[in-house]
Amino acid sequence: MAGSLTRRGALGAAAVVLASCGSSDPPPRTGPRPGSGAGLLNSILALEHAVVAAYATGAGLLRGEALRYARVIADQEREHVRRLDELIRGLGGTTARSRTPDEYARSFPVLHDGADALRFAHDLEERLVRAYLQALPKLPDAELRRAAAEIGADEGAHLAVINVLRGRPAAPQPFVTGTL
Amino acid sequence: MLAAGAAPLALAAVATAAPKPDLDVLERLLTRERRLEAAYEAALRRGALSEPLARALRDQEREHARGIEMSLTARGRRAPGPPEPDRALAASLRSREAFARYALGLEDRAVRAYVDALSSLRDTRVLQPLGAILASEAQHQVALRRFLGEPLLGV
Repeated sequence: MAGSLTRRGALGAAAVVLASCGSSDPPPRTGPRPGSGAGLLNSILALEHAVVAAYATGAGLLRGEALRYARVIADQEREHVRRLDELIRGLGGTTARSRTPDEYARSFPVLHDGADALRFAHDLEERLVRAYLQALPKLPDAELRRAAAEIGADEGAHLAVINVLRGRPAAPQPFVTGTL
Repeated sequence: MLAAGAAPLALAAVATAAPKPDLDVLERLLTRERRLEAAYEAALRRGALSEPLARALRDQEREHARGIEMSLTARGRRAPGPPEPDRALAASLRSREAFARYALGLEDRAVRAYVDALSSLRDTRVLQPLGAILASEAQHQVALRRFLGEPLLGV
């Protein structure tokens, strides 16, 4: 589609979003012990904040079923934010803050239509799946791994919904790794 | 980075001793995968699901089972035999809706089993590939809800 978001463009934008998450936050002077998992969860929390903002941006371009599901997914991402926030605080950490909508908007690609919005959502959901899977072996205790597994499963389901909305099979591959 | 298709190899590549509880967990997951594969195979033979969907899900469960089996044997555990026939499966094959609901129940339980496994396994090398299977089963839930005409995320 002429003028629409290319995969390369979406990937580049997703990388910018991730790279910019929390990068200007000052390092905490006190907090959880190293290796507690708080820092890892905080980097995922920053990504979750960005994804919530991305769904808010994309919603303006979506209609009908796509808009309805974008709202449901965004609600679930907000629930993930709340859960991560609670876990990080439980570890004695200070949670990454959400940026302003304008700050996020500057790091997002220009989205022209619903197809662009769904492509961007797909790339961000892949990034989330990968983040949770990569966290699994690094998280030090069972409760944190359970949370990462449960949320990672949610992200896999979100990816399937986005696939359907893009006219593709819900489950196109046997191993959902979030490979970009 | 773990590429699609690499997960079975990653699961199998660590041919070292594993704690017995881990092997037991992997064995139960393998039995579960084989039950899923058998269910979709039966659905394919009896027309109890659309053919492309039944074939895709059967093939994916087969890939999951193969990865876990390779992992088990690499760790010195012989893979278990085929699962007992499931009476509920036979009953579900009477209609497409009944089968899809039966399969959705199996997938729901598989998702819970993988979450439990990922929080309890001691060998961290298997967590990422098993997580990739967990996310796949979550996608199967969406595919089956779509077939049933239900909300895709169950809400």
